[in-house]
Amino acid sequence: MMAPGRRGRIARRTAVIATVVAISLFMEVSGYLATPVDLRPELSWTTVHAMVPLVFAACAGVAWAIGPNPVPSRLMIVFVLFWIPQAFYPVIETLGWLWPILRGVDLGWAVVAGILVLVYPRGGLGDRFDRVIATTALVATVVNFFTVLALAGPDSVPCDCVPNPYRLAEAPTVFAIVDIGYRFVGVALAIAIAIRLLLRWVRGSVPARAVAFLMPVALLSWVSTLATQMIHYATGTPPNLALDTVSLIAMASVPVCFVAGIAHARNMRARVADLMRITREGADRGLWAESLARTLRDDSVRVFWWDEERGRYVDAAGRPIDSAEEGRGHSILPVASPSGLPIALIRHDRVLTDNMRLLDGVSSALRLSVDNGRLRSEIERTLDQVRQSRQRIVEAGDEARRRIERDLHDGAQQHLVAVGMQLRIAANAARASGDDAVAGELEQSIGTLNQGLKELRELAHGIHPSLLSQGGLALALPELAGRCPVPVDIAVQPEGRLAELVESTAYFAVAESLANVAKHSKATRAWVRAYVEGDELVLTIRDNGVGGASLDRGTGMLGIVDRIDAVGGSVGLASPPGAGTTVTIRMPAHLEVSEALPGSGAGLLVAAEPGVEPPDAAAAPDPSNTVAPGVVGSPADR
Amino acid sequence: MVERTEERPLRVAIADDALLLREGIAKVLEGGGIEVVASVGTADELLATIDDLDLDAAVLDIRMPPTHRDEGIVALERIRQDGSEIGILLLSMYATPEYALRVMGAGSGTGYLLKERVSEPQTLVRAVQTVASGGSVVDPEVVEQLVQRTRADDPLARLTERERSVLELMAQGYSNGGIAQTLFLGLKTVETHVRSILQKLDLEESPEHHRRVLAVLTLLGQR
Repeated sequence: MMAPGRRGRIARRTAVIATVVAISLFMEVSGYLATPVDLRPELSWTTVHAMVPLVFAACAGVAWAIGPNPVPSRLMIVFVLFWIPQAFYPVIETLGWLWPILRGVDLGWAVVAGILVLVYPRGGLGDRFDRVIATTALVATVVNFFTVLALAGPDSVPCDCVPNPYRLAEAPTVFAIVDIGYRFVGVALAIAIAIRLLLRWVRGSVPARAVAFLMPVALLSWVSTLATQMIHYATGTPPNLALDTVSLIAMASVPVCFVAGIAHARNMRARVADLMRITREGADRGLWAESLARTLRDDSVRVFWWDEERGRYVDAAGRPIDSAEEGRGHSILPVASPSGLPIALIRHDRVLTDNMRLLDGVSSALRLSVDNGRLRSEIERTLDQVRQSRQRIVEAGDEARRRIERDLHDGAQQHLVAVGMQLRIAANAARASGDDAVAGELEQSIGTLNQGLKELRELAHGIHPSLLSQGGLALALPELAGRCPVPVDIAVQPEGRLAELVESTAYFAVAESLANVAKHSKATRAWVRAYVEGDELVLTIRDNGVGGASLDRGTGMLGIVDRIDAVGGSVGLASPPGAGTTVTIRMPAHLEVSEALPGSGAGLLVAAEPGVEPPDAAAAPDPSNTVAPGVVGSPADR
Repeated sequence: MVERTEERPLRVAIADDALLLREGIAKVLEGGGIEVVASVGTADELLATIDDLDLDAAVLDIRMPPTHRDEGIVALERIRQDGSEIGILLLSMYATPEYALRVMGAGSGTGYLLKERVSEPQTLVRAVQTVASGGSVVDPEVVEQLVQRTRADDPLARLTERERSVLELMAQGYSNGGIAQTLFLGLKTVETHVRSILQKLDLEESPEHHRRVLAVLTLLGQR
């Protein structure tokens, strides 16, 4: 479905094109018919002559449809109107008010064609040169027009025309000078345009080269024929039919080249989409610059990246660029993020400046990709910081537990034991002196104290099991299993000692899991396995209970899940109702406690991948036949 | 085991990083007629002088500087490696069966007691005397923990209540005579119980006393 506005626009354009085509054909056909038979040009030549405006009109339609702006199409339409055949004058020979006007603008088509070439491909005048050419052409045209109006006699047109009503004086010499001079200026301008176009094409590694070469070729052939015609006209020799035909074909090729150029630019814009794809997928700087060059068909493209640390632009290899100024044939396109931070400079062929939309697309892609990259590395950095800080919090917690346990062990517990000893000495003394009542009191105190000591021992053990720091999981897990009221088969395959954080996390995870087994599972038996698989410590805690457990039931298990998460591990739970519960915990066996952040990787799109740890040299674990060191016999299944 | 005359008191060294306890232990032992010839803060200090002291026994804290882990047990293993058979009694704030097994595994004349036993002078003195004479001592709390461990197909279920009591004392290092005395039983009755227990638990009668303790503890730990 087309929008109504668009449909109306298309209808209007179609009407305009049909109208000018009709006018053009009318002039051509009526002129041909009005010319006496013996003076008529060859039919084939007239046909080719009539074809030229048709080609322009058709190209106007195409340019309207695909072009970036309507100026070229309008110029093409105006060209069609100015394409007035010489043969048309006999038709209007009786209209004294009209023929001098037409005679005044009968080279308008050449001016329009020149401007058309000039605005290629952007549809606007670019630099001073363009404006000078255009101004000169227009001034010359106006001067010529008024000179023709004021001085032209009927002899200046191929007809038996009525006198020119605007004629002010008979000055055939002045008229001839202006008339021929005008053509001379026109040819000179056309040559200048052609040479400029040619130079631009030759010098630049022109992106549009592939198609744009048609334009100068067409223009050159047309200019050369125009020049020949002009010479013929000036010298009064009859025109060469073959040369005239070539000239017509060259003229007709101008709009075709123009439309082809636009289509090519459009195609390049489509390739910006490829650039976007690369942007999305992420690529490094070198690849990006390479695909940019491919997209723009400009091998001379250089991308200089903003280096935030150094506050200057650097090339892909990181070398600082002293100056990235616009040089010969090159333009600089600065690209900045929406917040105004510089991102990069793209040094490209100046010709690309003609294609602002393409460059817009490119800089959008670049902006997007850099923003993506920045965002991504920022998120990864933040995530990494969060992960590390979480790990540090857990480590700090562990450290605090260890310290409390040690303080209890070295402080309160020792003192209480000493108190017990002193009470005993006092009690013995009391008994020796026959004070049995005091002795009894003291002995009772010793009993209470010892009960308190036992509780304190349990408390300290719960805060941090000394056996864990002393003997690792191989000692601590069997001891833990022994405390569980549900019989536990335990198999620990210790890979020597692991990081303290890993050991304590594993210990408390098993402790909490076994507590859940004891509290909720109604199991009669449980199995605990601990082994190292590759780089991972794997713990499984299985029971034959009622199942139906969930990780988010009970804060104890949630805390464990958080702890395991903090060290980069995972917890799996399989607990179908009635079929027991299996908790599977995996965590890195070798944690590196590093405060340093990974390389900040200011690079485009390149987010630093976290370093892969070297694979553990440990052989594949076989937890069924392992022996805990320092333990007589095996704590494993019998 | 060191040959000694009845007149000569036991010569004992103490290693514990807590000065208060070190002094208390010395007091308790001296109260029991034991001569404390050295009192040091680390296992290394003890090892450095042990050859010159002509010791009958040493009392060591398990957790001492520098690592506060198992220095005492490491020292015990070193002493045994060096061929010395003096009695070694290890003290610990925790009753850890795994450590008790490791201590028993080091050979005869070893003991493992909770530190709070210093408030029971007889227990401590008797433990030192036992290890000095080549016997074994395991803290009752360790045995209690081991016995309380719940295992499927528990072999202890095959024992009678009386046999269980005898087993616990066996695990603590009591000799048959000691068991008979503690439980007020005849020696013959205890020997019958012991044979029955060993048979039911599939353990071999061992001529060496400490091997029996070790076997019983291991069995308890393995259940």
